Amino acid sequence: MSQVQVGQKTYEVPPRDGITVARFITVADVERSARFYEKVFGGRILTIGNNEGAPGFIQIANMWLIVYFGGGPTPDKPTVTLSVPADLDYVSSFMNIRVADIQACYELWRSRGAEFLTEPKEKYGETRCYMRDPDGHIIEVGQSKPDFAYG
Amino acid sequence: MSESKSSASQVQVGQKTYEMPPKDGITIAHFIVVADIERSLRFYETVFGSRVLSRGDSEGAPGYLQLANMWLIVNVGGGPTPDKPKTTLRVPSDPNLVSSFMNIRVADIQACYKLWKSRGAEFITEPKPKYGETRCYIRDPDGYIIEVGQTNPDVTYG
Repeated sequence: MSQVQVGQKTYEVPPRDGITVARFITVADVERSARFYEKVFGGRILTIGNNEGAPGFIQIANMWLIVYFGGGPTPDKPTVTLSVPADLDYVSSFMNIRVADIQACYELWRSRGAEFLTEPKEKYGETRCYMRDPDGHIIEVGQSKPDFAYG
Repeated sequence: MSESKSSASQVQVGQKTYEMPPKDGITIAHFIVVADIERSLRFYETVFGSRVLSRGDSEGAPGYLQLANMWLIVNVGGGPTPDKPKTTLRVPSDPNLVSSFMNIRVADIQACYKLWKSRGAEFITEPKPKYGETRCYIRDPDGYIIEVGQTNPDVTYG
């Protein structure tokens, strides 16, 4: 069973009613990515997928992460190509993990093999650091300062 | 498709409560670089009924929304920072080359397609059958694709 509750509403994948929001990332190796998110964050692998088009599903905290290979246009997105990050220095979207204790997360996840760009650093409203996943997707790890509701 | 009306911003998994920001453990959000924070907040609020938690401020605090089980953070781009010294954040430079996106799993894709279209969402195509699911895509105001997919009954995770 893979469910999330908000107030009186239960979310699950696939949803029986309403919607459930996931994040999709393109990866070079589905199993490698699933194992990374399982090992570093304690994510739960729901399925490793298959080579016929079924992606890997991993549940981490309140979110589902969907990982699959890239590919050319499909009838429902006729101009779009999915690929692993082409240029690691330019980023538009990333997974942002908000944490209660960034030093503890930094040390724990590093001990599990996560590669951080830097140690946690002070920033406006928060303390923050970044890691890269096996395909180079950046992941933000941030702890909001006590006087910021949303930092 | 109704959202929780409680004032707190919390999610529960089993016995664990998630909130933003978390008092313990972790809570995961989806971050996107946008050209206009207010425009993006209105889009996600209008189309999906997301709850705007913060409109950000001029000093760098981002906009925050809650959408179902997920939090969405929107902010303007910018050059390298001490914690990512080689990385530049910018809106999608090529909307046709994509490596990650928000994926909304739905129970009734025809209903979502009609409702969200009526609220101004621009779909690339109508829903189409694909391996294990029926699927279509929206472009948000900055050109991000958003997948909308309904899994076929015989597929657990499609």
